[in-house]
Amino acid sequence: MLLGGPQGSGIETSMWILGRILVSKGFGVIADREYFSNITGRHSYIQMLVSSVKLPRSLRYPVEILASMDAETVFTHFTELSEGGILVYDVNISSKRIEEIPSMEDATRERIARVLAEKGVKTSVESVVEYLERDRRVLPLGLDFSSLLKALSEQYRIDSRAVSKFLSGVIVSSVAVVLGLDEDIVAAGFRQQFREREELVEQNTMLYRLVRSALSKHYGAVRLEEPRLAMEKVMVVTGNDVVAIGKIVAGVRYQSYYPITPAADESFLLEKYDNILGENGEVIGSVIVMQTEDEIAAVNSAIGAALTGVRSSTTTSGPGFDLMVEGLSWAGMNEVPIVITYYQRGGPSTGQPTRGSQSDLFNAIFAGHGEFARVVLSSGDHLDAFYDTIEAFNIAEKYQVPVIHLLDKFLANTVTVMTIPDVERVRIERGVLTRGGPGYKRFSLESLISPRAFIGGKDTVMWYTGDEHDEYGHIVEDPEVRARMYSKRIEKLSLILRDLPMDRKLRLHGPSSPDYLIIGWGSVKGVVLDAVEYFSEKGLKMSYLDLKLLWPFPSEDFLRITNGIPDSNILAVEHSYGVNIAELVAMNTGRRIVKRVSKYTGRPITLDELIHGLEEIVSGKKERVVLSRGA
Amino acid sequence: MEPRKGYKSNVWPDWCPGCGNFGILTALYKALEELNLDPSETVIVSGIGCSGKTPHFVNVNGVHTLHGRAIPFATGIKLSNPGLKVIVHGGDGDLLGIGAGHFVALGRRNIDLTVILHDNGVYGLTKGQASPTLPLKVKTKSLAKPNIQQPVNPVLLALSSGYTFVARGYAFDGMHLKNLIKMAVQHRGASFIDVLQPCVTFNDVYTADFYRKAVYKLDGDPGWDPVVKTPEEAGIKLLRAIEKSLEWGDRIPIGVFYVNPHVSAFEDRLGERLKGYPSINPSNMVIEMDGKPVFTQALFEKVFRDFIVKVSSRREG
Repeated sequence: MLLGGPQGSGIETSMWILGRILVSKGFGVIADREYFSNITGRHSYIQMLVSSVKLPRSLRYPVEILASMDAETVFTHFTELSEGGILVYDVNISSKRIEEIPSMEDATRERIARVLAEKGVKTSVESVVEYLERDRRVLPLGLDFSSLLKALSEQYRIDSRAVSKFLSGVIVSSVAVVLGLDEDIVAAGFRQQFREREELVEQNTMLYRLVRSALSKHYGAVRLEEPRLAMEKVMVVTGNDVVAIGKIVAGVRYQSYYPITPAADESFLLEKYDNILGENGEVIGSVIVMQTEDEIAAVNSAIGAALTGVRSSTTTSGPGFDLMVEGLSWAGMNEVPIVITYYQRGGPSTGQPTRGSQSDLFNAIFAGHGEFARVVLSSGDHLDAFYDTIEAFNIAEKYQVPVIHLLDKFLANTVTVMTIPDVERVRIERGVLTRGGPGYKRFSLESLISPRAFIGGKDTVMWYTGDEHDEYGHIVEDPEVRARMYSKRIEKLSLILRDLPMDRKLRLHGPSSPDYLIIGWGSVKGVVLDAVEYFSEKGLKMSYLDLKLLWPFPSEDFLRITNGIPDSNILAVEHSYGVNIAELVAMNTGRRIVKRVSKYTGRPITLDELIHGLEEIVSGKKERVVLSRGA
Repeated sequence: MEPRKGYKSNVWPDWCPGCGNFGILTALYKALEELNLDPSETVIVSGIGCSGKTPHFVNVNGVHTLHGRAIPFATGIKLSNPGLKVIVHGGDGDLLGIGAGHFVALGRRNIDLTVILHDNGVYGLTKGQASPTLPLKVKTKSLAKPNIQQPVNPVLLALSSGYTFVARGYAFDGMHLKNLIKMAVQHRGASFIDVLQPCVTFNDVYTADFYRKAVYKLDGDPGWDPVVKTPEEAGIKLLRAIEKSLEWGDRIPIGVFYVNPHVSAFEDRLGERLKGYPSINPSNMVIEMDGKPVFTQALFEKVFRDFIVKVSSRREG
């Protein structure tokens, strides 16, 4: 389904309420949030997929239900509504014409107007509704939003200017009625959302009754199958949430950030949970969440915190990461374990601040002057992101390197059902530590990993410098010491590749000698796995290789896994123009993958378009496919 | 009192002979000795430039960071382990040029850090370009043409940014500077000392000779009292300090301009958020036991219960 309305009108609230209701009924849910860089008024929407058989991991068009708060939603998405689908709309906007929507961008308006003209449909909402009903067998459910809200405001004496906050209730109620969800469960959903604000629960529940009576003939118009997922309790989280939760479990006690979309929500959550309480309400830890004056201060204060032995991190997106790069180089030079959580968004420059992208792969791997060891990790889904967050700190501390956890806006903002992580399985590995003492050498050359003492350790003094340094941390320019220190820092990369178990580096999903192998990383995982499943059902042997450790690149493992699969049968998928993972593979392994699926509109790859794109490549029609679905 | 540790490291200070930095370093050694600070609980954080090398010459923890970024590093160190005494050394280009944003932010926060500005009016290590404190139209010998940028007034900037201890010293008045450093380190909150420092190689205008004649001590005036006694007095004392900070030229005041102990330190503000802080702080928290996190499965599900949805038993009835 797709829920749309102006930014700030409660579309996201509708998503949370509906999502939790459906999950509590036993359904699997995934939802993507699409919005402008705007506080109020621009078009935002939620695309949500509900499954009775599995935990969904991708989205697809067309949608069965389009629930709209406004005319812009109807115009923007009517072509994505499936034949025989359901349209919920406000009858008060029937006469609204596309020319009368100031929030719509000219390019969008013109494109939609062209589509309407081709279909011979006039540019008003009622004409679109008529077209959908006549040509697409859509069931239009017109609701009189203002009468509903008026009835509500009269009954509860709500100021008429304040009723707009119930728009989300209209959307939730209408979708719930269409799906045949009864009052008890819907009220429980409102209660979970609004918590102590009992009056809001009551008022929204009243709204549900009003909507239900208005749509009484259509109660349960869309029959959901009885859910068949075996789950008792699950988590409903965004990617930002799950990373923040992972950090708390990992033992992060200092997090710095400068506000940036789509990273800031992670720090918000950490701040909310900054006092960690034990079983009996006692404090078992707390997290300093430091909003700094810029990203430069963010990364450098996190480095400072790490020098005192604290697990510390900072979180950002592309523009902020660019500012952090000098600090990253310092951390590399001084072998400081810090973690930078990097949520990619559309670039270059400010680009598309609220849209998704995987175009910063090379930035994460190569940014920074000089040669030094760093680790770049990616996560394919929310549960991976939880474990990988903790793993990022283990790697950082064991090898004394900066780690970049490379995620993106899609994962950050996607709400999904996730099995509860197995916390007992989690390990905290802090690496080689020492108490130090007199004569301590922070950069001892006796081993590749010098035992680490912390600033503040008893009777211990140490020095750090961004200059080349001796074992004590004092500046040195002697060529021999330079060479030994330099190679010590870089050779850790080989150690990391040797030490890390295979499944932390890359994971093969599907048969080991497939007809076609898809490679990718990060948030394409879900949609690629669904496509692989689709093709497997069609009898094509297909597998997905999820590259988790992006740097140092696990070349040997990659070559072993792809041995016997010709280059021509390997395809790469990425949310970027270049599909740069294929270049990274070529650079590290010499294998040249020319077949690529690319998408750079800022919207997530949907299953339907990916299947279509892969078919075009597999059938030999094309080598490169560029996807573009989604408004 | 006998100094319990030698504060001099065995690294040779490679500054030019006659550099004002020697005066500052000597005053620092003396201050550390007299304060009897434990080297393992003391940290000197520096930026880039001649002054950036300071930590290597002192036998306490030293962190020689990036150009302009000493304050952010110091912030992370201090907040994570508030038991440490953290002193920042930076030049005028470092703290007031490339790092000016951080300099202002520290004042807003009033973190218990001490910032010592090595203020020589030039970028020495890159051969004497004009720095943010070099006055307009001044032409030092290393400049091809007179300076066309106005200077920033470090004392005034510190006062207006919210530093709660603001002073100025002179590199070659060692006893006076030592006392300022001691007061600044003992002050709880963001403290700042602008140290006038001759650069013998590149600044032939603001020389030792010039400063010797120009500087005078604020406490030479028995009526000068920079300490805010009650919160109500803060405004008037601040105005007086600002007025004093504008004096420059033939007569340059040194000494303490302003002390306000009534503003909460950032550590106190954090303590209102985080239970037990600063005595319980990131550097002394337990985060693992036998390689496991401090969370049991049950505790995890309790702490993050807001994210957990129970699935109602299906097909009831």
